[in-house]
Amino acid sequence: MEEQNNSGADTNGRQPQQAAQPAQPAPAGKTAGGGTALWLKIIAVLYGLSLIAAFAVVNRADTARKARSKDMDLSKLTGLQKKKDAVAVIPIYGVITQGSSARSWDRGSQQTAKRIRTMAARKEVKAIVLDINSPGGSVGAVQEIYSAVLKAKAETKKPFIARFGEVSASGGYYVGAACDQIVSHPGTITGSIGVIFSVSNIEGLMKKVGLRNEAIKSGKFKDIGSMTREMSPEERRLLQGMIDDSYEQFVAAVAQGRKMTVEQVKPLADGRIYTGRQAKEAGLVDKFGDLQDAVDAAGVAGGLGKNPRVLSDGDPFENLMSLLDSKLSLRSSAVEQALDATPRVEYRWSGR
Amino acid sequence: MNPINTLAALIDRPELLTAADRPAGLGRTGMLGYLAGTLGIFAWLRMYSAVPPGFLSFAAVLLCLLGLNFLMAALLHLFMDLTGARGGAGRLFLAFGCTDYLMSLLIPMTFFAKLNLVGGFVAYSACVALLVYARVRIVRRVYAVSANKAALGVLLPYAWMGAAAFVASVYSLAWLIWLVI
Repeated sequence: MEEQNNSGADTNGRQPQQAAQPAQPAPAGKTAGGGTALWLKIIAVLYGLSLIAAFAVVNRADTARKARSKDMDLSKLTGLQKKKDAVAVIPIYGVITQGSSARSWDRGSQQTAKRIRTMAARKEVKAIVLDINSPGGSVGAVQEIYSAVLKAKAETKKPFIARFGEVSASGGYYVGAACDQIVSHPGTITGSIGVIFSVSNIEGLMKKVGLRNEAIKSGKFKDIGSMTREMSPEERRLLQGMIDDSYEQFVAAVAQGRKMTVEQVKPLADGRIYTGRQAKEAGLVDKFGDLQDAVDAAGVAGGLGKNPRVLSDGDPFENLMSLLDSKLSLRSSAVEQALDATPRVEYRWSGR
Repeated sequence: MNPINTLAALIDRPELLTAADRPAGLGRTGMLGYLAGTLGIFAWLRMYSAVPPGFLSFAAVLLCLLGLNFLMAALLHLFMDLTGARGGAGRLFLAFGCTDYLMSLLIPMTFFAKLNLVGGFVAYSACVALLVYARVRIVRRVYAVSANKAALGVLLPYAWMGAAAFVASVYSLAWLIWLVI
């Protein structure tokens, strides 16, 4: 062990002096040089002074910061306030559905509605652009966003501009109809004003594989829309009534949003799709343009002029979590959606 | 014993650290060193608004510093013990406390940094360099080893921490790219 100690002692093979001759314990106070102690005392005094000075400075800075945040009312500084004003852009992409959870980073209709409410409530947001690229979705989810737009408009009087991307059909159009203006490309696929309820019938397949489904129900319509049997005429009538009611709601929403009568809308609302140009001719779209044109229109409507400051939607943390969720999710949402044959009433164009 | 006298004795006669008995007042001086060093670091962090004010915030910094130094002293002692050098781990930890007085230099340095006379990072790096130098000198005394071995022992934990931070940052970057793509 001693050898090992020596081997690690010095690169030149020399042992440090104090190791060879271990010092005897000495009363440190008596042996310490008076000069060093004096210097240390001076340094200690300087240290104490600098510490006091540092905390005084920090304290003053904190007090000033607090006072500034309380006293400074930006609304009095019109120049600064003007600089902060912006147009918010909220994306609505893909099939509109109710989110599967209450997680704030989910992209369900309730989160979109919340974003609309949050953005509309912000003082610096003077107008909102809904960037829609969606074939629609379930009736409840679409109406949740629609009603959020109407409420925000009524409460804040802020203009809403819908921008249609590649496809903004059915439920996508329903949401857009709530806005004050609709901007689309001439080639955008839109329209498809109508309701659909589709259900697959796998009775033949089940017979083939020898599978039989038994349903014990409290009422004759309890298993309406079942995939395992033929739909009865009574059920068909009932579902048709439901579809017609949802359709009336859609037509009324379009008529209200586009300042048309229900009679004017109904001939257009047979479920057909339109290009942006056809839709403009039919009065379903206001003007052609891209996202920048929609932002400009929102800027003008909000009193900010063209090319306003754009406030991107979303909390960075929520965006990151959404990204993580989509990347790390063990289930494949595409496969899950393909396998999900649950019948539902939808404002949706099935061409996409 | 007065900590100033103990410190003066250690500066004038560093061989006291190798004595059979622990130098008088080393415990108190070492712990006071940690406290003074933490005060320096805390004031520096407060001047950059990096930590919230209050006693709890200071206590958190102190605990963090004590834990980190304890870990470093333990790792260094383990390294020295494995390579055959003999010395006291407790004495090393307390002697490290004595070197922590140097971190109080951060306060005047930060004033200079705030006056744009010196860069903030340069000020911090200078204090850390002084601290590392002082610790190398201390380790040489406590374990009676060469300067090179003492420097290696002191820098190893820093190197591990630096390497871990580097690997973590590279991995995070790669992970973020994977997320976005």
